[in-house]
Amino acid sequence: MNLNHFKLAIIAATALSSIAITHVHAEGVLRLNEVAVGEIDPAKASDYADSILMFNIYDTLVVPNQGRGGFAAHLATSFEVQDKVFTFTLREGVKFHSGNIMSAEDVVFSLNRLKSMGLGLSYLFGDVETIEATDANTVKFTLNKPSASFIASLVRLPIIDKKAIMANIVKSDEDKDDMGDWGEKYLSTNSAGTGAYKVTSHNPQDETVMQKNPNYFLDIDKAAPSEVRLRYGLEAATVRTLISQNKHDISSQWLPPEVLKALAKGGSQLLVEKGTQEFYIKMNTAKAPLDDVHCRLALSNAFDYNSVLKLVSITDDVAMGSAATGAIPSGMLGEKPESEKLVRNLDAAKKHLSACKYDPKDFEINISWISEVPLEERFALLMQANFAEIGVKSKITKMPWALFAEQVSKAENTPHISQLFVNAVTGDPDTLLFGQYHSSVSGTWQSPEHLKDAIVDQALEQGRSASTIKLREAAYSKLNERLIEIAPSIYGYNVQAVFAASNRVKVPALSDPEKSFGLEGMGFTFRLMQINE
Amino acid sequence: MKKIFYQLTSNPMSLLGVILVSIVILSAIFADFITPFPEHRGAIVDFSNFNQPPHWPNIFGTDLVGRDLFTRIIYAYRISLILGFVVLVISVPIGVSIGLVAGYMGGWTETILMRITDVFLSIPPLVLAMSVMGLLEPSLFNGMMAVTIMWWPWYTRLVYNLTRSETQEGYVLAAEIIGASKFHIIFREILPNCWASIITKMALDLGFVILIAASLSFLGLGVQAPTPDLGSMVAEGGNYLPDSWWLVIFPALAILIAVFGFNLLGDALREILGGEE
Amino acid sequence: MNSVVKMLLKRIGTSLVVLIGVSMLIFTIARVIPGDPARIALGPNASIEQIDKLRERLHLNDNIITQYGYFIKDLSNGNLGISLYTNRPVTTDIAQFLPATLELVIFAGFFMVAFGIPLGIIAAKYKDKWQDHSVRILALLTVSAPSFVWAVILMLLFAFFLPLFPVAGRIDDQLLLPDNITGFLTVDALIDGNFTVFVNAIWHILLPAFALSLSGIGQAARLTRANMVETYKKPYIEMAQAFGFSAKRIATKYAFKPSLIPSLTIIGLDFAAMLGNAFLVEAVFAWPGLSRYGVQVILRKDLNAIVGTVLVISAMFLVVNIIVDLLITYINPRIRLAKGQ
Repeated sequence: MNLNHFKLAIIAATALSSIAITHVHAEGVLRLNEVAVGEIDPAKASDYADSILMFNIYDTLVVPNQGRGGFAAHLATSFEVQDKVFTFTLREGVKFHSGNIMSAEDVVFSLNRLKSMGLGLSYLFGDVETIEATDANTVKFTLNKPSASFIASLVRLPIIDKKAIMANIVKSDEDKDDMGDWGEKYLSTNSAGTGAYKVTSHNPQDETVMQKNPNYFLDIDKAAPSEVRLRYGLEAATVRTLISQNKHDISSQWLPPEVLKALAKGGSQLLVEKGTQEFYIKMNTAKAPLDDVHCRLALSNAFDYNSVLKLVSITDDVAMGSAATGAIPSGMLGEKPESEKLVRNLDAAKKHLSACKYDPKDFEINISWISEVPLEERFALLMQANFAEIGVKSKITKMPWALFAEQVSKAENTPHISQLFVNAVTGDPDTLLFGQYHSSVSGTWQSPEHLKDAIVDQALEQGRSASTIKLREAAYSKLNERLIEIAPSIYGYNVQAVFAASNRVKVPALSDPEKSFGLEGMGFTFRLMQINE
Repeated sequence: MKKIFYQLTSNPMSLLGVILVSIVILSAIFADFITPFPEHRGAIVDFSNFNQPPHWPNIFGTDLVGRDLFTRIIYAYRISLILGFVVLVISVPIGVSIGLVAGYMGGWTETILMRITDVFLSIPPLVLAMSVMGLLEPSLFNGMMAVTIMWWPWYTRLVYNLTRSETQEGYVLAAEIIGASKFHIIFREILPNCWASIITKMALDLGFVILIAASLSFLGLGVQAPTPDLGSMVAEGGNYLPDSWWLVIFPALAILIAVFGFNLLGDALREILGGEE
Repeated sequence: MNSVVKMLLKRIGTSLVVLIGVSMLIFTIARVIPGDPARIALGPNASIEQIDKLRERLHLNDNIITQYGYFIKDLSNGNLGISLYTNRPVTTDIAQFLPATLELVIFAGFFMVAFGIPLGIIAAKYKDKWQDHSVRILALLTVSAPSFVWAVILMLLFAFFLPLFPVAGRIDDQLLLPDNITGFLTVDALIDGNFTVFVNAIWHILLPAFALSLSGIGQAARLTRANMVETYKKPYIEMAQAFGFSAKRIATKYAFKPSLIPSLTIIGLDFAAMLGNAFLVEAVFAWPGLSRYGVQVILRKDLNAIVGTVLVISAMFLVVNIIVDLLITYINPRIRLAKGQ
């Protein structure tokens, strides 16, 4: 009886699976995945998934040029800069998803909303003193000081449909504020942008479904995906299987190198986003023994840069990283030449250690890693082994992201060593480096070094306000030199995001260097992708 | 004692239990001598030999930083057993005392103690341990605390029921009549009659504590690297399926074998000592 | 019938008391941990000013008893606060994710009864024969591994090596979802009359539900066997045997029902324990349910969401236990009398 049941179950299962396997994919649907949870409210966007959503659902005044630096007008048609005043002329007749026409009022509203809510990347606009709509199609930003990086920041100012939000504001009794929740509730499930895709359903733990916007203001290639499904929280093994079974198109960049290797071997293509990201191993310069520069230099010389690169290599010509040359990744202002790549030097490490005023035997270095990024555990183990070779003891602590961000606010709670992937959120070196190393912002998630160094501060300020590219370059070169000299961080490697993808999609922005945007997440502009059935 | 041992070894199933448990305990104790690379329990990386399938001399393959998986599984047994023992050593006296007091005293004492116990029992065990663990820093010590917090109420419940029925027995009545102290009656008269059930439950529980601890670390709430741990090995290896199957299968089987051994042994003890389910 | 109502009311009463205890326990745990919930909530770029404002708004500067008072007040208004993980009200999250977990657990519970009890009966009928021994080994094996081990093994065998079942999710994503009525995809599909979706949802739920039910199947089989064996020793069964009733008739008609009662209690407990084990299985199968949400919020120290999730799961646990008690009373009125006194 039992055996019969079992047979029956097998037959039933086979029958079920044959029913279910018959349909593989619907026409023009793009399926990709990202980390655990997605945020579609652009004012709360902060990570890679959020950026992908923001760049597709919303548009910005300018976008980065493809294949070369600089920015092109997008929702704006032109702009003028006069000292601290930036004036934009808007494109006319652009429609929001609701059908409303975009105007300068919407731009003003978008900035005010972002700044009032104070979340996500709103800090980028701290220098904007006033914003006004001088007429329906002109908007004027006045900053409190000249800024060379302001234009770049605008790629993080998505333009929101004011009318749609005003109709959906939720006010609570306690809130006397006119704007109530600023449409927070509405935008957590709806899109109110001009973007090429609009949200049709959103479950932050499961997936966001988007449909092509037929009224988009630019022409969209016919082969571009008609529907996009961005899935969240899939395990690496799941993604690996789904792609090899042709049930998934593009993986997240968080697949471990081994899995990417297996997929590439199975015939999947590898997409690469060369970017503005570097892997930093941050040392707490406010805590003994790492408050002594020699102790820090001992650790950075003891670190085995080559093993890390070996770990992140995927195929002979694709790797998740390339050798670091300093604090500034390759391709950015102030970078050092490839010939000066950092290497392990045990002799130097020992020499620095003996010059350090502390005896390593008295300390146990606390190496932390972020639990959301399993690769970091391997780096932590590597460091532990590396440091042991020069006689430095250490322990490893796993930290969830939220806890890490909370603990770094105080130097005494900050671990000796933290590992971080930091990128320039606007593509400009200012947004990569200021937040990490300026003494005024020490103790944020980007700056667990708690660095206070006058030369560094000065170089950062020069880089921010200098008027010409040349002057900026000089400032960042000086900064790079100084950061290598005083070693607040170990500069691990230049990060390249690698994605495995099925062969039915073409993503020029992620496979052709001439088409790349140089801004993390922008490569996932769905309207520029093609799907071959 | 001799008789128990004879009974244990005469039945093939319980014999298997004795053998499995012995293997697990002995290999944990003598790990330094039987593992080929004892240094691999700690911070060693070997990127020239990482993520390799089983081969000689790494009979279970190597992990993601090049350490011998067999070595790490054996050392993980050591940690699991220590955790299991400590949890039981702390939670059994607490649980048993509360159960005895509640069961014998009755009245308000009973109501309050048992309602508190019910509170702990009405959160699914794993969820309670997870919540506690999730809010503490993950470490071996905190792991033990979290599991202990969920474990004692089960002993309270068991001993409470036993005490309630024992209290009706003639010998308790006799002791009360001759004016024995409550302390004496509870710990000298009633407790000895509960031992058989408690010991049986402990033998079974050792396996379950290992299982729960593995579940916690599977969810990322366990001990820290580089300490070897079976649950986190399965969790990490899970990312590399199906290609690197050895990273998952061997630690998973290791959990299965250890817990199976303790279950067989506990089952046999229950039959011999006549404890309750 | 009156005594049943009385018993039910009494059970609901004690359950409520217990639930209040649970809320106190979990609230205390969540508030005494190191770390500033306001800072965690606002994220890495928040200013001191914003943090102070939020601390004020969340009443974090008051003592814990006052805070608990505010919590209960909010709770009675159906407000559990905002989850940091999804940026939405915790109640919205729970409402969205709970049905998926319940559906999974109910399927697993069905497997537990459908496989566990027959196996137990077989073992008892062939006591000390090979059937009995195999069931015993099988049952012991299933309870000897955490459900994530079974989930991983089943997934490796039946989704990776033999791709019979899907590896993740509740449904193939190109299928249109039925109207959300119960939140149970299978039920909604049937209401909708959409057979394709129904089959697809079943196909997705089989493997995770089976992985979740395995240890329960083992428990149920062991208990049923033990209780049946006890019952076989009873005089009335011996009499039936003496009268020459067929073994099958004795097994199914006379020995089964009395053996069911003790099994049911434990099965109820096991069923409730599956609410906990679902945490493990959902993680493996990327099942978008409350348990996976629970794991994520615990890892992120998302306090509001942790408190909400634990409360809801404990409430489910208590409800299941009450249902089991009712079932038992229904099957055996004698217990009703004993308990209702």
